[in-house]
Amino acid sequence: MVSFSPSSEAEACATIKDACALRRPLAIEGGGTRAGLGRAAQVEATLSTKALSGITLYEPAELVIAATAGTPLAEIEQTLAARNQCLPFEPMDHRALLGTHGEPTIGGVTACNISGPRRIQAGACRDHLIGVRLVNGRGEIVKSGGRVMKNVTGLDLVKLNCGAYGTLGLLTEITYKVLPKPETSGTLAFFGLNDARAIEAMSRALGSPYEVSAAAHLPAGIGSGKARTLLRIENFAHSVDYRLRELQKLLAPFGENLRLIEDEANRLWRDIRDCFFLAQPRERPIWRISTAPTRAASLVGRLAGELDIKHFYDWGGGLIWLSVPEEDDSGARVIRTALAAGGGHAALVRGPHNLRSRIDVFQPLAAPLMKLTAGIKSSFDPDAILNPGRMYAGV
Amino acid sequence: MNEMTAPPRAARLTSHADPASIEAVTRALAARFGNRLVTSQAVREQHGHTLTWTPNEPPDAVVYAQSTQDVADIVKICAEHLVPVIAFGTGTSLEGHVNAPLGGVCIDLSMMKSVLAVHPEDLDCIVEAGVTRKEVNEYLRDTGLFFPIDPGADASIGGMAATRASGTNAVRYGTMKDNVLGLTVVTPDGEILKTATRAKKSSAGYDLTRLFIGSEGTLGIITEITLKLYGIPEAISAATCQFPSVKAACDTVIETIQTGLPIARIELADALTVRAFNNHAKLGLVEAPMLFLEFHGTEASVAEQTQRFGEIAEAHGGGPFQWTTKPEERTRLWQARHDVYWAHQTLRPGVRPLATDVCVPISRLADCVTETARDAEENRILAPIVGHVGDGNFHCGPLVDVDDPDEVERVKNFLERLVRRGLEMGGTCTGEHGIGQAKMKYMLEEHSPAALELMRTIKRSLDPKNIMNPGKVVAV
Repeated sequence: MVSFSPSSEAEACATIKDACALRRPLAIEGGGTRAGLGRAAQVEATLSTKALSGITLYEPAELVIAATAGTPLAEIEQTLAARNQCLPFEPMDHRALLGTHGEPTIGGVTACNISGPRRIQAGACRDHLIGVRLVNGRGEIVKSGGRVMKNVTGLDLVKLNCGAYGTLGLLTEITYKVLPKPETSGTLAFFGLNDARAIEAMSRALGSPYEVSAAAHLPAGIGSGKARTLLRIENFAHSVDYRLRELQKLLAPFGENLRLIEDEANRLWRDIRDCFFLAQPRERPIWRISTAPTRAASLVGRLAGELDIKHFYDWGGGLIWLSVPEEDDSGARVIRTALAAGGGHAALVRGPHNLRSRIDVFQPLAAPLMKLTAGIKSSFDPDAILNPGRMYAGV
Repeated sequence: MNEMTAPPRAARLTSHADPASIEAVTRALAARFGNRLVTSQAVREQHGHTLTWTPNEPPDAVVYAQSTQDVADIVKICAEHLVPVIAFGTGTSLEGHVNAPLGGVCIDLSMMKSVLAVHPEDLDCIVEAGVTRKEVNEYLRDTGLFFPIDPGADASIGGMAATRASGTNAVRYGTMKDNVLGLTVVTPDGEILKTATRAKKSSAGYDLTRLFIGSEGTLGIITEITLKLYGIPEAISAATCQFPSVKAACDTVIETIQTGLPIARIELADALTVRAFNNHAKLGLVEAPMLFLEFHGTEASVAEQTQRFGEIAEAHGGGPFQWTTKPEERTRLWQARHDVYWAHQTLRPGVRPLATDVCVPISRLADCVTETARDAEENRILAPIVGHVGDGNFHCGPLVDVDDPDEVERVKNFLERLVRRGLEMGGTCTGEHGIGQAKMKYMLEEHSPAALELMRTIKRSLDPKNIMNPGKVVAV
């Protein structure tokens, strides 16, 4: 396997131009910690962003940060923390779940649109991305968006590249808007609720004026013998105390509850973010299912009738993490049939290579959407040089 | 075989639609839609109407659609004859978005007014494109939920999605791009597609929802929108605070946002605009640079935010700081803000303001506003300024006598300099109003040639016949 590691955008352009001339597809790689996401790509060469590293702009007063793609996420988070700021979307770390090593990069976070529990309140990774520079499949530099908060100048190429898994362009420089770090946080835990009741409690909390920043449900057997429903509130200490008390009043019908010690709560939210609870046993494939929260419990009930599952919920029930046994198609048909009835989509997050080449890793698209998708891919990358097939066959 | 087929129609529309094709389309639409097809001069001109000096270029016909299927049928007929299709909501866009430079059929979506579903537990609702922002909130009134995006006009949700609209709540709630979960779109070949399911997170494929949001009708016609909703805050307070200078006001804003105050609205009005508000809404304010604010949250957090803001403002020489929690006073204040276009007219009766906008990094906002005001003064232009200072976006509304060629020339040059000033400061030529026809000339200055070419390629790929609102955003 040939490997390229350009140390400048110009070199990256040259590498991609060469690859284009040779019709030699490239696999784009950052820190490699999320290499197992997506379909198994068939390529003979990799292009690493390792040597494109460094923060290029940080204006704390403007709440804006820009960095080249290979910059470690940790470096960005530390730089922001020193000024009491953060990436509000709380990006997940996939290392525990996927058993990978190395340093997650900001390019990888962006390409895969990685968010965490705070997404329900603060928005996804994609919502905070305001500018990109990228090299398209022809080796041309494309700049879109910038460092301003709002921009309505033409088609939104910025958002399109977030979550495109590097199939549209090699991201070289990325600009995010950031937020002040919450001054403090408080987490309320309810115990022993079944899934449906827990989702009801979370929905009520999220619809309240108390600005819940995360809502997850860990059924019995996930990290503890007793089911736990967790609600997090953040910001100024005084206001957090008040809102937690009001939330306790509002949710009194849901029974016993407790404000967790902050350290313990932080650990739990990190484990929820990283899907730590389902990391073992390693051989079980993991699905990530998005659906409307009101449908989540009945969906899981239906799946439990057909598969041996372990699961928990984030995003107030809108996100289901599911571990299944590795047999046949590892639940693909059962899960997607169940989803077709109620709406939503499922992506295989962890699974062996042969499974990932056999089944649709991402939710299959309806024909008109697939046609659009193929049109966009060929607009950016007409010769299918960049991560071909990582998302869909032919894309 | 080839000799037997009819001669191929031009594959792509490059000039004004052929009169015979327009005639054929009009006939077909009349047969299908009866009196919902209108070709009178007055109605056609009204549908090319824009609040600018961009000359009116009316469509050849207007059809009032009542359903997504109607829209699909109209687009199919137009596609077959290579005739342009232009979507119309409330006609409140500002840069010539709804003109018909190549002729064609305007699809008026204002009869598509159904709220199709409200899911209070999932905090979303599905509406048809013709429902206006105020109608959504009117409908939601008893649910305890609301939809926060509020451009000045009572625009249609379809139009707001198509132009990626925002408003005074953007600091806290974002813009249309942050608050649309999915779209139903009629494609250029008349197919109906849904970009996403109601699931909160769309991990299925490319973000097609966001590609259509802000595409100004050039890729397809948005007919249904799934909106994200929010719980009405427990407590709301609105406030005004005057400042010795625009810079002092901007510095206050920067510090406020940095401290993490979750402020909902923070709007700047220059002294001229305050005078206009006083004229139009009888607000009785001191004519000085002023911030209009709103705090959302619980009783406790609103009180805390209000107090913290008051302290920051005072440190920058601001004050007096006056606030209220009375709904009628808040409504009066924000209605005045939303009516700024009409308020500005009072500064020079008989003359229409020309609304435009730019967006700059917030650290440059004070410079940009101050330089723009000086430029206006030097060139004898009456140009009040009002801004969404929380995100560096501001509007400038020169009042221009269009019958005075010298003044028109001066204002045109002034607006060019305004855009260049914004771009030089690392900003964008529009943060809210969009490109339409009037700002196409700045696209190359703002984007790299490859980025602009890519937009063209996407446009060609999705709309190979070039019939969707042609002559807007990017020239193909």
